[in-house]
Amino acid sequence: MDTQSLKRTYRNHRKAIIVAVSGLLYAGGWSIGHFAGLDTVSAVVLILGAIVGGYDIARTAYHEVKSRTLGIKTLVTLAAVGAIAIGAYWEATAVVFLFALGSYLEGRTMRKTRNALEELLEMTPDTATVRRDGELVEVSAREVEAGEIVIVKPGEKIPVDGDVVDGESAVNQAPVTGESAPVHKADGDEVYAGTINQEGAIEIATTGSGTDTTLQRIIRRVEEAQEAQSQTESIIDRFAKYYTPGVIALSIGAYAVTQNAILSLTLLVIGCPGALVIGPPVSIVSAIGNAARNGVLMKGGEHLEQAGKIDLVAFDKTGTLTKGETTVADVEGFGVKDDEALELAAIAEKKSEHHLADAIVAAAQDRPTTATDGGTAAVQADTEPVSTDARSVPDPDDFDVVAGKGVIAHHEVSGEAGGSSDGSDGGREIVVGNRTLLDERGIDVPDEVADYVREREERGETVVHVVRDEAVIGTIAMRDELREAAPGVIDQLQDAGIETVMLTGDNERVAAAVAEEVGIDEYRAELLPEDKQTVIEEYREEGHVVAMVGDGINDAPSLATADIGIAMGAAGTDTAIETADMALMADDLERIPYAVKLSKATRWNIYENVGLAVLTVTVLLAGVLTSYVTLALGMLVHEASVLAVIGNGMRLLRH
Amino acid sequence: MSETTQLRVLDFDCPTCASTVERALGNVEGVEDVEVHYTTGRVEIEFDDGVADRAEFEQTIENQGYTPQPA
Repeated sequence: MDTQSLKRTYRNHRKAIIVAVSGLLYAGGWSIGHFAGLDTVSAVVLILGAIVGGYDIARTAYHEVKSRTLGIKTLVTLAAVGAIAIGAYWEATAVVFLFALGSYLEGRTMRKTRNALEELLEMTPDTATVRRDGELVEVSAREVEAGEIVIVKPGEKIPVDGDVVDGESAVNQAPVTGESAPVHKADGDEVYAGTINQEGAIEIATTGSGTDTTLQRIIRRVEEAQEAQSQTESIIDRFAKYYTPGVIALSIGAYAVTQNAILSLTLLVIGCPGALVIGPPVSIVSAIGNAARNGVLMKGGEHLEQAGKIDLVAFDKTGTLTKGETTVADVEGFGVKDDEALELAAIAEKKSEHHLADAIVAAAQDRPTTATDGGTAAVQADTEPVSTDARSVPDPDDFDVVAGKGVIAHHEVSGEAGGSSDGSDGGREIVVGNRTLLDERGIDVPDEVADYVREREERGETVVHVVRDEAVIGTIAMRDELREAAPGVIDQLQDAGIETVMLTGDNERVAAAVAEEVGIDEYRAELLPEDKQTVIEEYREEGHVVAMVGDGINDAPSLATADIGIAMGAAGTDTAIETADMALMADDLERIPYAVKLSKATRWNIYENVGLAVLTVTVLLAGVLTSYVTLALGMLVHEASVLAVIGNGMRLLRH
Repeated sequence: MSETTQLRVLDFDCPTCASTVERALGNVEGVEDVEVHYTTGRVEIEFDDGVADRAEFEQTIENQGYTPQPA
């Protein structure tokens, strides 16, 4: 080994070497004194041990004093110098050695916690294969520009964020979403940097590279979350500000009264509330790190502590408990062909962005092209399309949304009764909506229609009426399948003693049917978007700590009102990540019981750590004041308690 | 010109150590704002690049007994 590499080894292991040498000198010095009785030699060796182990500590202490902070290193230095001054050599060395050893181990274990995200960072490859001027070139991944085409072979990691433009594959998105099952990706699908292309070669049009990728944003968010102080931490910090000066005053007071130098020095050593200030941040950092690796972003310690108190989880129905893929289950014409009712509804809904509207328009477009415009052909809506060409649905002349109730539109039907209607715009009026809207407009609903609607609703289907010129001419029943995981998730939450509630804009009958299917405790039906917020507010006023689960965009207000807003499927939607207290990167309901349990475990972990720390300090103080605890023992217990809380907090990394 | 740089210190052994480093960095001439996070080891410095530079920050951190790394 040459001097260069020796120097490097020393630099890398400096702290360990210092601890080992100081430990050896301590043991040697003590043995020489104890067994050989050579007191002077023993003292020299011990002081040497104190200097080796204490040099760094004293140097930091000097900086602490210079910057007017009262840190533990200043206290330890004072104690060691004081002990040497009164001839208590082995005690001085013991204190220094134990402190150096403790600090070394603390630094090492904390490094592990701080590195929890490193594996995520390492997921992004350094280079990317890009097509430039018709040729494939390998470039640094951070230099890929938006719009450039990146080619990713099977087995490779995806270097940029982008949209698939060619090829298809299964992609393991675990680093970003925490999902273990690969996700199928084809033309137009979004892929994320750091995920793994498993099956086929794909070409990606870049949307973000370097630090501008979803994974990088996640990591930044996680770090911000880990750095944000929780309430407990701020309380402890405030307490610590008074505790240390208090103990120093006590130490001076104790010396004045008892003239016992060792006693006052021992007080100095335990004067830093080590375990108390270290415990809660370690618990929180570990929990947030664990959550991030499982595809759950927590906004910060504050929210995590709050989430640990959740006793009621409210779910938005559509897209949360259900898949959010509404499809038309049945169309029934009353006095007209089924197809005509569907066509008219589609025209009225064409410009609406509501998910029910999308389903109706899609169903109308999927009809076979054999039907002519105007809906005169007798074709059932649920028959297989004979052509893959989507039929075009004409635009309405005008259109109004009645939020939470339906739409009102006008449409001039060419060649048939055109302009003869009394509609204000010359076109015929089409209303598509729920019973409330019809009642409000004084539209009579025949018993035959009402019976049919009731029957479909009892199956959990959402039904809208199609009204032309104030007469009900049809109904459309729509279905949104439950997520497979939903009943199990509700079950798990109930087992954990948490109440579950479903919020929906659907009417009572539909809500009851879905609530029963999923096994949820309670439901609130017929809610307008703003009502959801009010309901959350009511639960909070009843004293519940409420979590609200939604998609993070439409439900943003109720997510913000809840104590903890949980957004699902947040990967790729920055608004959801920004606003939610907890964001589930994948569309995976199973993460909710996981996140709630992790939060509860974290809250307990913090209590345990604070409890252990307070107990240690109390016992130490009592022990010192009654002279049971000596300088070295005080330091040993102090360091052991710090390591204990770090170890306990780190258990959350593996929760 | 005001500039922001990041460093990482993985071997902080106590929260006060991080505060001490934060104060020391704050005392470096040209530093406008500095945040040192014990939990993540992240050091963020906003400074006047005509007056201070990264090497100075690294030296300051080393003087306090810790190992600065690129963020």
